[in-house]
Amino acid sequence: MATIGISTEQHLNMYRDMWRVRKFELALEREFKRGKVPGMLHTGLGQEATLVAVAHSLRREDGIFPDHRCHGLLFLKGTPGAKIMAELFGKATGVCSGKGGSLHSADVTVNNFGDNAVEGSFMVTALGVGLGWKMQGKDSLVAVMVGDGTAGRGEWHESLNLASVWKLPILYCCVNNGYAISTPVAFSHATGDLVEFATAYKIPAVQVDGNDLLAAYQATQEAVAHIRAGKGPYFIEYKTWRWQGLFSGEFRPKEEVQYYMEEHEPISMAKAYLLKEGIVEEQQLEAIEKEVENEIESWVQFAMESPQPDPAKATANVYVGWEVESWQ
Amino acid sequence: MAVMTTVQALNDALGLMMAEDHRVFCLGEDIGKMGGDFGVTRGLYDEFGGERVRDTPLSESAIIGTAVGAAMVGMRPVAEIMFADFIGTCYDQMVNNAAKVHYMFDGQFRAPIVVRTACGGGFGGGPHHSQQVEGWFMNVPGLVIVAPSNPYDAKGLLISSIEDDNPILFLEHKALYRLKGEVPEGKYRVPLRQAKVVREGNDITLVSCMKTLHDCLAVAEELASEGISAEVIDLRTIRPWDHDTVLHSVRKTGRAVVVNEAPKIGGLAADVSAVISEEAFSSLKAPVMRVCGLDTPIPFSLPLEKLILPDKDKIKQAVLKVIKF
Ligand SMILES: Cc1ncc(C[n+]2csc(CCOP(=O)(O)OP(=O)(O)O)c2C)c(N)n1
Ligand SMILES: [Mg+2]
Repeated sequence: MATIGISTEQHLNMYRDMWRVRKFELALEREFKRGKVPGMLHTGLGQEATLVAVAHSLRREDGIFPDHRCHGLLFLKGTPGAKIMAELFGKATGVCSGKGGSLHSADVTVNNFGDNAVEGSFMVTALGVGLGWKMQGKDSLVAVMVGDGTAGRGEWHESLNLASVWKLPILYCCVNNGYAISTPVAFSHATGDLVEFATAYKIPAVQVDGNDLLAAYQATQEAVAHIRAGKGPYFIEYKTWRWQGLFSGEFRPKEEVQYYMEEHEPISMAKAYLLKEGIVEEQQLEAIEKEVENEIESWVQFAMESPQPDPAKATANVYVGWEVESWQ
Repeated sequence: MAVMTTVQALNDALGLMMAEDHRVFCLGEDIGKMGGDFGVTRGLYDEFGGERVRDTPLSESAIIGTAVGAAMVGMRPVAEIMFADFIGTCYDQMVNNAAKVHYMFDGQFRAPIVVRTACGGGFGGGPHHSQQVEGWFMNVPGLVIVAPSNPYDAKGLLISSIEDDNPILFLEHKALYRLKGEVPEGKYRVPLRQAKVVREGNDITLVSCMKTLHDCLAVAEELASEGISAEVIDLRTIRPWDHDTVLHSVRKTGRAVVVNEAPKIGGLAADVSAVISEEAFSSLKAPVMRVCGLDTPIPFSLPLEKLILPDKDKIKQAVLKVIKF
């Protein structure tokens, strides 16, 4: 049986991809704790449904600006997962030769324009991608993955305003997980419903349960259709919740944690749906989980065994066409 | 050869490049029908239309962000920030985005943008319309700063900048906008990262750029009548600047004064004099001196502004001090 025009195969692919995101992050967290992953760790745990809904709505030639919780989207967009894992380990085989890491992974071959760890800054970079493609007559769109906290940045508002004025093909995916580090959304913004900002800029905007895969997918599909029809930008506020609290530990109310980790947890919600609707058998889902486990561990293995970057990379590609050493 | 102002020379360069390359487009505040606050884009809107001569609101971050994003997908944007002082509002886009895109993704993307902006004091513009901002950017790997001192260089350097694949901050000193000079018709390039010896001399090297370059030339002329032969170098690209031309000159003259309108601390002149000391120490007959703006914001009052900016007298005093050392 299929739902809203989704084939069984796609149901399974999306389910598998949620597990790929989940297991990628869990493996990363494990290796981070073992000291194998340098730098800082942010994960998309708990936000799998949103990431998969977006990934499955984009074409390879569409663009993305992934944020710090989008490791999953990096490989779902088409970059081999091993190259993403290796990048997060800072290795030579990483998609940016280990120079970008978790917070700066781009892949030109799949139009992944990279994260900018100055959170929210790429809101305005996306304007340029949208405008450039529009001027070139391309029909691609660019999706911006942006957290609730960044709604406080001026760039956020400059971007929404100009995307609206210039009718640019931008899909704003606002991942509202309730907090910016420790600060609740409604504490820092004039509205806790961030769609209202977009509406003020005359951008069509919806709020959707970002933990409900099919609801999120359907909303994203509608947004994408709107943009592809040349009607300009679209804004979706995905209400979700991240597993990661603070580096120092959990700070959110117990009942809230329990609700999102158990009752309203995206993978078990998707699983319950697939079983209830009789779309698949339980064993099939278990097999998927096992396969994903092996796939992700092979990426970890690859990253572990990969060499450190060549020292020459430290000064490579600072300028186009000339070397740093030439004047130092 | 036609005689043009710097504004006309810049306008000519933009028109030529837009006609030749459909990827080139301009964006900024009031650059469309109005032609820009200083008239640099005058007439381009009529010739190329509002898509390619794109007016923006006061959204400087969006101006630079748009330029970077468009450049990442193959366009060649020329952004205008009306006054250089306003660049603080889009500093993040310049420093953390434009300048790093190529490096952090290890060469996968380029940001060939040109950010034109009007800078410089001396006209009573006050604290927010008068500054030289190169010092704000000296410490930004990946960024190139170009700073013409005359109409000929302005056109040739702007053409080279638009063709270059690096992000470029293109400084246009307001006091030079109306300066006239001979400018060839059609396309020509002035190479980036190449300083120019604009006056030859044997006793001392004066290194400068933009408006103060003209002060240096006037001082050199005066000194000549007093029997001192000064060589004057126009850096033209001020980040990264041309070490070879400067060092070659200092090895010949044995003395150097570096002149820059921006505040002295941590600025361009500091870097130039440090490199001279590191690389040409054994040729030096006297310490390298800097003549720069004082460590103050720019006051509105003209007499006060005169006190804090470098001028011919201050340059001459420094030269005499070095000569007599
Ligand atoms: C401009 C900027 N300010 C502050 C930070 C530090 N910082 C990193 S993540 C974060 C919170 C972001 O919150 P949100 O956008 O809601 O994303 P979430 O982590 O909740 O997914 C902050 C303040 C930053 N990286 N960039
Ligand atoms: Mg958040």
